[in-house]
Amino acid sequence: MNRSRWKLYLFLAVGLAFLYIPVLLLVIYSFNESRLVTVWSGFSTKWYGELLHNRQLLDAAWLSVRIAATNATFAVILGTLAANALVRHGNFRGRTGFQLLLAAPLVMPEVITGLSLLLLFVTMEHTVGWPAGRGFTTITIAHITFSTAFVAVVVRSRLSQMDRSLEEAAMDLGARPLRVYMSITLPLIAPALLSGWLLAFTLSLDDLVISSFVAGPGSTTLPMVVYSSVRMGVSPQINALASIVVLIVSVAVLVAGLLSMRQQPAAKAN
Amino acid sequence: MANPAERRKLEPWQDPKAAPYVRIDHVTKKFGDVYAVDDVSLDIFQGEFFSLLGSSGCGKSTLLRMLAGLERPSAGRIYIDGADVTDIPAYSRPVNMMFQSYALFPHMTVEQNVEFGLKQDRMPRKERAERVGEMLALLQISELRRRKPDQLSGGQRQRVALARTLAKHPKLLLLDEPLGALDKRLRESAQFELVNLQERIGITFVTVTHDQEEAMTMSTRIAVMNAGQILQVDTPTAIYEYPEYRFVADFIGLVNLFDGRVVETQDDQVLIESSLGRRMHMRDLHPHAIGTPVTVAIRPEKLQICATYQENGINQVKGVVEDIAYLGDVSIYRVRVSPEMLVEMTLTNVHPRTEQALTWGQEVAMEWSPTSGVVLTE
Repeated sequence: MNRSRWKLYLFLAVGLAFLYIPVLLLVIYSFNESRLVTVWSGFSTKWYGELLHNRQLLDAAWLSVRIAATNATFAVILGTLAANALVRHGNFRGRTGFQLLLAAPLVMPEVITGLSLLLLFVTMEHTVGWPAGRGFTTITIAHITFSTAFVAVVVRSRLSQMDRSLEEAAMDLGARPLRVYMSITLPLIAPALLSGWLLAFTLSLDDLVISSFVAGPGSTTLPMVVYSSVRMGVSPQINALASIVVLIVSVAVLVAGLLSMRQQPAAKAN
Repeated sequence: MANPAERRKLEPWQDPKAAPYVRIDHVTKKFGDVYAVDDVSLDIFQGEFFSLLGSSGCGKSTLLRMLAGLERPSAGRIYIDGADVTDIPAYSRPVNMMFQSYALFPHMTVEQNVEFGLKQDRMPRKERAERVGEMLALLQISELRRRKPDQLSGGQRQRVALARTLAKHPKLLLLDEPLGALDKRLRESAQFELVNLQERIGITFVTVTHDQEEAMTMSTRIAVMNAGQILQVDTPTAIYEYPEYRFVADFIGLVNLFDGRVVETQDDQVLIESSLGRRMHMRDLHPHAIGTPVTVAIRPEKLQICATYQENGINQVKGVVEDIAYLGDVSIYRVRVSPEMLVEMTLTNVHPRTEQALTWGQEVAMEWSPTSGVVLTE
């Protein structure tokens, strides 16, 4: 028994190594003194310092954060509404279709999503004059289209676990439907809303393909800057930047995970 | 014995002039093609502890939910205190419901849970605090006021749920399996507490239960439901002693059902030839014509050991003890009287078990009196 457990740990170690050694290397090399990304010549934090003076990178990062936050907020609103419709409105007409359409962005190749959105934006600009040009607005809208699907999945599972009689009890005690939603439903699904928001934020921050399609001049997001600079030869600054992104993303995922775990016992209690 | 006027006060359903507090008038509820509640009419009077009793899926919960306003009847009207509430939504009805799961809000403390309904009524803060204190004191849970529901035991949660539903001083309290989530011992003490509470505050209670013992102990009247319909509405005693349907007799407690045919009648007395080949003489409250196929229902405790068994004796059967269920206070003897039929007889264990008169494989004759059972047709 001890032997087989020992083997299990080995498998786990190999699996984790496969997943995380590349990331670890990236973080280690961000502290490399040498300009050459693959040759270690000593510890230094100078690339982090240089990163702070790289206007282009910082602007792109700020743009990405703004897009990600706006996207996450809208995605949470729309995704929650969609989840509500699916969980709470029974078998309405076209429910299956709605469900399929909602899930489609999860599996749609990004290239297709990007291209079709580009076509849409160009057509709209010609016919209704909005959105004028491509940039922050178009990228954000594009991100909302797929983030909503992810948020809907997260919120939906939380909503369907929730005891329906809680809402009925609130109504029975005299709360009108809107009041029931605000004081009972929302607080109880709040952890799902927050983890949905963080998920949407991260998805948007990462996105390269769709952004490239719908971005315009002067609206270069962080992944786009990174990608283009890598093609021209990797600077250790990118490593430094990537390390920061890894840090932010892992904190976000950790927080989202903790939140949904903390809420689990409370949900079971009822 | 109480005089008729007092009796009417205690049993308003006996008084033809009494106005019902809740009137369910030909109510039907369909889910798709399924009739959950099928043309039910029912009057419930002020101050009653009324139970809807039936197995799961008989429509009792749906009926309760329609009273609460959580379901809309497909047809029929519901009146509470004389007003038609059929189209009034749950949040405007003078009715509160205690849910089977208790449905305590997990993100609120006990105090906030109890206060919730009062807040919806925009009751001033000071009055609200007073009422909450009153309710917590009534149910003896004042020391739990700052706890969250997940820090409470099952019995404590039940009290909080009760306090929350009572806080608004509803005219009518609905309880969906109020004791279903408690363990057996707690349930017995909770039954008495619930009845005492109801008598003290004088609110009309309507409860739903599948537990016949619970219904018998607590209720002023019971409605036995099956397949969306009400079969019989009566006091617990009448339901037990004078069931009107085989289903009711069978559902409440144990019963022996002898099939037979009426062969002779005189006034309210009938003579029945049973399929066991034995003759039974019974009092029949709804006299049946000669030749009618009937069922004689006799409770196991109404049977006695017969000392003078006769081959053509009336109200007597004989068989062999096949099973004994020892319950401490009583034992249930299952006696094989024919290849198809087991008769159950309950005897009080007057003597310790080792000295019991009856044992497995023993032949025993049993008898009963003409007034200790009922004659049923369906």
